Amino acid sequence: MSGHSRDPGALPSTEALLLPLADRLLPLRPGEPGRPGGPGPVRPPRRPRPLRPAARRARTELRHAGKVFAAEALKQHRTMFGQPLVVASMLIWPLLQLAATYYTLHPIAAGSAAAARWPLAADPAKLLGFLATGALAWAFFFSLVQSAWNFSYERTTGTLELLFLSPAGRVVLMLANGAGALLQNAWLLTCFLGAAAFGFGSLQVAGPWMYPVVLLALLLPAMAWGALLNSLMVFSRDSTFVYTVLDDPMWFVGGVRLPVFALPGVLRVLGAALPLTGSLAVVRGALLERQGLGELAPALARLAVLCVLLLAGAVLALRLGEARAQRTGGLRLV
Amino acid sequence: MPVAWATLRRTWTMTSRAYPWSYAVGCLLTGVLTIGLSYLALHAIGGGTVAADFTARTGGADYLGYIAIGAGAFMFTVRLLLWSSKALITEQRQGTLGALLVAPAGRLPYLLGFTGFALANTVVEVGLLGGFAALLGITLPACQPLAALAGVLALAFAVFAVSVVLGALMIVAGEAHISQNTVFLAVSLLCGVTFPNSYLPAPARWLAETLPVTSAMDVLRGALSHGAGLADLAPRLLTCLALGAGYLLLGLLVLPGAERRAVERSY
Repeated sequence: MSGHSRDPGALPSTEALLLPLADRLLPLRPGEPGRPGGPGPVRPPRRPRPLRPAARRARTELRHAGKVFAAEALKQHRTMFGQPLVVASMLIWPLLQLAATYYTLHPIAAGSAAAARWPLAADPAKLLGFLATGALAWAFFFSLVQSAWNFSYERTTGTLELLFLSPAGRVVLMLANGAGALLQNAWLLTCFLGAAAFGFGSLQVAGPWMYPVVLLALLLPAMAWGALLNSLMVFSRDSTFVYTVLDDPMWFVGGVRLPVFALPGVLRVLGAALPLTGSLAVVRGALLERQGLGELAPALARLAVLCVLLLAGAVLALRLGEARAQRTGGLRLV
Repeated sequence: MPVAWATLRRTWTMTSRAYPWSYAVGCLLTGVLTIGLSYLALHAIGGGTVAADFTARTGGADYLGYIAIGAGAFMFTVRLLLWSSKALITEQRQGTLGALLVAPAGRLPYLLGFTGFALANTVVEVGLLGGFAALLGITLPACQPLAALAGVLALAFAVFAVSVVLGALMIVAGEAHISQNTVFLAVSLLCGVTFPNSYLPAPARWLAETLPVTSAMDVLRGALSHGAGLADLAPRLLTCLALGAGYLLLGLLVLPGAERRAVERSY
């Protein structure tokens, strides 16, 4: 798709950063062939302090996961980040959309009856803050829908089979693919909206410690959501359904552009099943309504449970999908 | 004319055998959810009332009618533009652009045939959106069918003209996703689709006047919700047609160069 040739001698700066990271995260053990010799006389390798088996296993797993994450990030950077125009579209599209939504809702929000039902609507800056937080969370979650869409190319081109045959853990692969997409897509908008929010001074935050909470409440559910979407690709080659079902309906039921109370009951139930809705509740509570950890605890707990369920769903989908693939021959895994 | 008819029949046959259902449903959903969003906002938040400045700027308090006309016209623009401007880049992706260029067929009839099919397809899809709006109880109490038809035809001509320019841009850039979505978002923000564009700052309004959709929207709104006749709407109708003619001329001027660039790059 991207037909540009690369000069191996001149790596772009991000790649120069990611390549050694991917290598360094799983350092070769002392004594293994290929270990670069240090200066000074050769000493017998020092015995490492004995670890408990569980701790050692966890450390190996973490290193392994780190390597897969770095490799996936590098891969996505190379495939998706080719043109500077893509960077513009990451920022320009959401901002144009945000402006259009703001002006569309303005006649309602500035009406005489709106303030009683939705106090936030009376203040244009607060309405803009409400919609901007919606746009931010939407960008996070939608970038994972796009990642799943891109991931389906791995299925159609046959590289998914190669990925599954590699020693990389499958759930880790699904998570890493989503995380890579998230980094590629959401960082620019996050920086811009962050700067804009500080400039306007319309943020109502309980304390600086809430910013990491907000970021985690966006990142972790988005990653779990991405893992589930990616793992669904084991079942089907046709990814357009992901785009169709999760493009517009997701913002509609998730309360991105309207407060959740304005939605009818059925849509509210559907929205509650989406992690986007829970993330938005935390983000808006922390950034716009000065809520602290204590007030947000129930919402955070619900979000954590949803994350665990999504991850469990991803693991289950991978197991079932693989079993089905072995039965039907849809994927060649041996 | 035979070229246009042959292209229309070919596209009709291809699409009826493998109709892109999920793509069409996705586009329809955008319109449906735009109307749904404003319906919920009006009833659950606004209590059925809108701000006085909206009434003053649009000459009526019918917020839902305003949004429905805008959503319908926007869907019409998007779908027609999607089909027509991507005709050439689709040939390029399928590897048939070279064959098309050496064939003894004129480019304008080819594009007209493609757009003829797209128009038939789009009218049906926008009709479905209109059906949804009618289900929500949105009506057009003061409608001038003849003026509305003139508005739709002017919009179709203008969108065709823009699609020739956009199509040339696409085959030169070798991509469609970024250029098409940027145009769609610019239209939805600038052209008075879901809100009167007098809300926007003056430079944005000047920019909007360079897009023929803005004047076409004025004609459609005048004909569908204010009961204005052809005589009242003639200035805006002529603006739309003149802009369309300008875009068409530009497109036909740059298209041969764009085709040359596209072919040179791929061999």
